[in-house]
Amino acid sequence: MRVVRWFIAILIAAVVCWLFPLFHVVTLKTATAEKAAATFNATQFAETFWTNQLPASSDKAVKADVLLPAIQSDAATAKQKFSRSVGLSEGYFYFVSGNGRVVAVSDDEISLAITEGSTNTDVSLQTGLLFGNALRDGTGLLSASDYPNSQDFNDISAALNHLVETRTLPKLREQAKLGAKISFVGCAEVDDEATDLKPLKIIPIQTKAE
Amino acid sequence: MKTNWLKLALAVLIATAAILFSQPSSAQSPPKEKIAVVVSTLNNPWFVVLGETAKARAIELGYDATIFDSQNDTAKEASHFENLIAGGYKAVLFNPTDANGSVANVQKAKAAGIPVFCIDREINSTNAATSQMLSDSYSGCVKLGQYFVKTVGKEGEYAELLGIVGDNNTWNRSKGFHSVVDRYTNLVMVAQQSGEFDRAKGLEVMESILQAHPNIKGVFCGNDAMAMGGYQALVTAGKDKQVKVFGFDGADDVVKSIAEGKIVATGMQFPKTMARKSAEFADEYIKGKRDFPQKVPVPVELVTQENVGKYGDYGKK
Repeated sequence: MRVVRWFIAILIAAVVCWLFPLFHVVTLKTATAEKAAATFNATQFAETFWTNQLPASSDKAVKADVLLPAIQSDAATAKQKFSRSVGLSEGYFYFVSGNGRVVAVSDDEISLAITEGSTNTDVSLQTGLLFGNALRDGTGLLSASDYPNSQDFNDISAALNHLVETRTLPKLREQAKLGAKISFVGCAEVDDEATDLKPLKIIPIQTKAE
Repeated sequence: MKTNWLKLALAVLIATAAILFSQPSSAQSPPKEKIAVVVSTLNNPWFVVLGETAKARAIELGYDATIFDSQNDTAKEASHFENLIAGGYKAVLFNPTDANGSVANVQKAKAAGIPVFCIDREINSTNAATSQMLSDSYSGCVKLGQYFVKTVGKEGEYAELLGIVGDNNTWNRSKGFHSVVDRYTNLVMVAQQSGEFDRAKGLEVMESILQAHPNIKGVFCGNDAMAMGGYQALVTAGKDKQVKVFGFDGADDVVKSIAEGKIVATGMQFPKTMARKSAEFADEYIKGKRDFPQKVPVPVELVTQENVGKYGDYGKK
């Protein structure tokens, strides 16, 4: 009788352990892979964002031939109507598209005249080393509130800047001959209206020679 | 006889007044609701300003406010949360000690129905705190990195003093700075050590870095306390003219040092703005508002010898 009791107790314990195991044995390779999967991969995220979300959002960009006259007429109203800002920042962003004629080329920028027949630089496409959050924050597609760790959110900025430098800029530099007509979609960050609005400094996301 | 009557009348008057003042009056205003201000450390003037401003704004808004000093110790912080939950506080204005380690404390408060508003430092969760008012350290250090390259040059050796390694701000600042400086391959970082956001530790670490690397041209410090400590070490070593020091915070002593041409630049974080706004968020919550953005980035401005006149008293003049 006593043996039967012990047998039942061991059986119950075995069933409980089977259903609710006290530990799992995992190979080192699997554990490393699981840890990597749980870690946010900014490069991978930026690639997906670049391929899927960004191109689909370009119709939300304000047209340069609408924005620039609005800024010229009243920068505060243009800001209110077309810009977006983040948190308590006084600085703001424009997500802008348009086309213009190349009027000057240097290592760090390509100057475009937007107005037909003009030779003035209305827009400056930035082609040097890219820093900061204009691409991440300028479109309004991404929000800091969605990322528990702001380091991940900041890594997206660096990854997006890298994509522009490696994918958009080499092609743009080839296209940007004096007098060539270029269409573009990009983001501009305005920290200081005295220097950042005229010309509007845009980090290009997509460009095309017309 | 007349004197006796006067004495009796005075005694009756005193007795009546004593009875009136000793009894609780039904017309007395109810006790004020309480807001807790939990600060990572009061051993750094910047956090003292943050905590005192949050407390002062809460009092202005009609609350009783108390500051709790966690002394950079998550165990002390946990104990403060236990006490404030038991003490009937209506909201917590919280400057966490550790992005991961502080999450559990916020969750406890949330479970007890107490909203927590993080200030300056974040916790690694988007569903524990009611809102998080955070300095945009990364963007601020991108600007500092660009200014570093402009003033130190595109080549040479430099060092970095990191903050507390468990704090996200440490890495956001470091990553923002390196997102710029690392693009210049002839600028070589020869030392990167933690000064734990502390002035004395910053001095000590800088001394040892200078012994191993006497030719550095610049040092980027993750906060102003370490920048002051580092600068002190440079003065002692007679290298304060050779090595350019960059801080981050916008502490008053560093802003004054920039004006005196000692420290090159810092990032102004606006602790008073963050503290005041967080207290206002808590007030809105207590009055019924529930829709708050989870993260509110607060911009950081570059303070240099060219524009230092615009800044002071932990903000813009």
